[in-house]
Amino acid sequence: MASSFGFGGSNAVTKAGTTSVNTAQTHMLDEHVLTPASINSIELHGAVNTRRSLLDHVLNPVVEEAAAQGTTLGQVLDHIGAATKKLARFDIFKEDGFSVFLSEAPRPDSGVPADRTELDISIRVKEKSRLVFSAGTDFGNTEGSAYTNAVARNVFGGAETLSVNASAGTRTRSAYNATLSAPVNGNPDLRLSAEALRSVTQKPWASHEEQLTGGNLRLAWLNENSDTHAVVYSAAWRQLTGLAATASPTVRADAGDSFKSSLTHTFTRDRRDNPMLPQSGYLLRSISELAGWGPLTGDVSFAKTEVEATGALPVSVPGVQGNSGVFVSGGFRMGVLYPLPLGYSLTGLTQPSRINDRFQLGGPTDVRGFKLGGLGPHDGVDAVGGDVYTAGSVNAYLPLPRTGPDSPLRLQLFANAGRLVAINSSTGKKSKEGNRKTLSMSSAAVLKGVGSALSELTNGVPSLAAGIGLVYAHPVARFELNFSLPLVQRKGEEGRKGFQVGVGINFL
Amino acid sequence: MATAPSGAASWRKMQIPRPLQQLFNHFPLHTYDANPLPERSQYLTSSDLPTLYVFSTESDARLGLPSFNPGCLKWQTLLRLAKLDFHVLPSTNHASPTGSLPFLLPSRTTSPPTTPPLPIPASNLLAYARKQQQQPKNKSQSQPFPDLDSTLPARSQAYLSLITLSLRNAWLHALYLDPSHTRLLQDLYVRPASSSRSVQAALLYQLRRAAAEQIITSTGGKVVSLSPVNSAAGVDEEAVYAAARDALDALATLLRESRTGWAFGREEPGVFDATLFSYVHLMVEYMSDEGVAAEAAAGGGGGVALGRLVREAGDGELVRHRERMLRVAWPEWDGYRR
Repeated sequence: MASSFGFGGSNAVTKAGTTSVNTAQTHMLDEHVLTPASINSIELHGAVNTRRSLLDHVLNPVVEEAAAQGTTLGQVLDHIGAATKKLARFDIFKEDGFSVFLSEAPRPDSGVPADRTELDISIRVKEKSRLVFSAGTDFGNTEGSAYTNAVARNVFGGAETLSVNASAGTRTRSAYNATLSAPVNGNPDLRLSAEALRSVTQKPWASHEEQLTGGNLRLAWLNENSDTHAVVYSAAWRQLTGLAATASPTVRADAGDSFKSSLTHTFTRDRRDNPMLPQSGYLLRSISELAGWGPLTGDVSFAKTEVEATGALPVSVPGVQGNSGVFVSGGFRMGVLYPLPLGYSLTGLTQPSRINDRFQLGGPTDVRGFKLGGLGPHDGVDAVGGDVYTAGSVNAYLPLPRTGPDSPLRLQLFANAGRLVAINSSTGKKSKEGNRKTLSMSSAAVLKGVGSALSELTNGVPSLAAGIGLVYAHPVARFELNFSLPLVQRKGEEGRKGFQVGVGINFL
Repeated sequence: MATAPSGAASWRKMQIPRPLQQLFNHFPLHTYDANPLPERSQYLTSSDLPTLYVFSTESDARLGLPSFNPGCLKWQTLLRLAKLDFHVLPSTNHASPTGSLPFLLPSRTTSPPTTPPLPIPASNLLAYARKQQQQPKNKSQSQPFPDLDSTLPARSQAYLSLITLSLRNAWLHALYLDPSHTRLLQDLYVRPASSSRSVQAALLYQLRRAAAEQIITSTGGKVVSLSPVNSAAGVDEEAVYAAARDALDALATLLRESRTGWAFGREEPGVFDATLFSYVHLMVEYMSDEGVAAEAAAGGGGGVALGRLVREAGDGELVRHRERMLRVAWPEWDGYRR
């Protein structure tokens, strides 16, 4: 009874991890799915540069789970499917290179007939090339750059990735970074990475450039709800230099060196159907950062938190069957920077925030209809940033004539608003505190300052702009061409009347 | 306001169609008051007086005490001699429009900061101070303002170069390259920049390298290697101090010949006196510690106390000149910190 059902090749497990099999085979399998089965052996072919210990982390659980009494063939197949999926997430094997072969293990001659089918499993993989060089152009949020990148995959055979990147761009004048990342405990969903970086970034909205030298250590994981978390420790030497001749006193006072040592937690829940032009679903993100306080030390100390929520809803149009291609979306962001004293105390003398730690708001990718950094406190031409902000937007998207609902092109109507306020102990008039002897604020003054900044957010109508434009969602970036007009703004804030181009990944 | 790039400028010049311009004129529909500036900015930049950005400590700056950087001290002294009222802010070279301190920022004239003042680099400070003196409200305390070139004899240039070359090189060597002053260097220039050890180490390295390069190039040498960090290899230490000793002697003689006690027999201290004072004062103030120097000498280091060289030059004319300068420029200060 050599009923060896070796369904092999790409038919069996076509894509990594998808145990879906075509109907004819499903039919055949149906009869077998409930038969008891266990695993005799698993062989993995083609992983020549990969350490065995890494593979053991993934495959051992499969064998152990299959050893339990009452395991059926169907369950074994599920486990194997999950394991290949996991292998694929290491990003060291080619996605279309997976194939799984099952065969019944030859029974020893003297052996009593087993009560279940013993399986020999053979998984074939193809490793991705270990060294990849690439060069090209990139679009980030409102910036273009050219880059060269070298990636060494599976450096030590444990799915470690070393990536070295050099780029020069319109705003980031030069950037070099090297990242080494590795899965922890053979788990592709838990990665530890270390990065060293050095960059020079122009900040024309505040007449200076920032040189940054630093490093960070990141632990990122994906939980069972496919939410991503990341905890990052970063240390950075920031040098605010290269001031323009017209730089404002605020920027001049903040020029020079500062060292930031901070711990950041990022949470992302992305349930959108398409990150560039979501027609349904939502995105939640929160970023919380603690810098300088307690054992972190450094030159700046604050707690900073930002939350973002965006969502989209398809709109059904009467008379149109199925997806009309019309949808609406809304977004909201908020951030607070709370200065803290250095050291372990929560009360004590506190340094007010610096320009490179404060928030900037405005520009084609957040509050459209304003220049980059166009919102919030301005000292002359310089956007000097604020400690508290809110921003919101509502958009309606209509398909263009003669394009279907799946077209990446849309007509967009939008209205967005924002408010960016700085902490200030002497709001409006010069109080007696204006003549105090040191720059530091007392913790009571900070609390009062944050409170009044928060209440200032709702003082009057927020700065507001509305417009109409075209959106094109390319898989790597989203392009927008909008015509907008600022409706409400503060003196000094820089609205943009007329056309504005936006290129980016993350739009409000 | 900003010098817009030429591309942007030609874009601006493009004619906006009239109906569109009329539409634009209606927007924004409502404009609220300006957002107040952040706290740091309010505190540091909203003084009613012009602000001189110099190397200094926070406590010294608050009292307007002399800067610890010769270049800054020279101009600070001159502005004080000119009886100009100003406020001092500790800063770094990064803040300066020229790449080095000092510079002066006039006080804000508009309360919502729509047009902030432009900085005045050191080279224009004399002209600025002169202009301020001529303003009617300052006429009451009008005092003839020191002139740089016209009243000084031609040989003043030679004496000036003794200061700007010999004394400067000795100061640079003593402060930056002499290991016995490492602590002083860190206290003055490194620690105020950042509390991070690694940033301090990087800055110290950069400062020392720059100082060694300056000395070598100013003495006519070429920078061959880029590693004269601690050892200051390539800097002829003895020559640097010998030149400084000669320069101090010559300057002491110059003062002895003066009837008034000010350089070249002027009635009032001028630019030359301020320049001389900026080095002499700092050498006496920070490098008179014989103990440190002797210790360094015993350990094989340079160990030349520049303060002692100043005292030994001539019959002590330089020290007396410094004291007179302090009395004129800082009449309210007794010369002691803390």
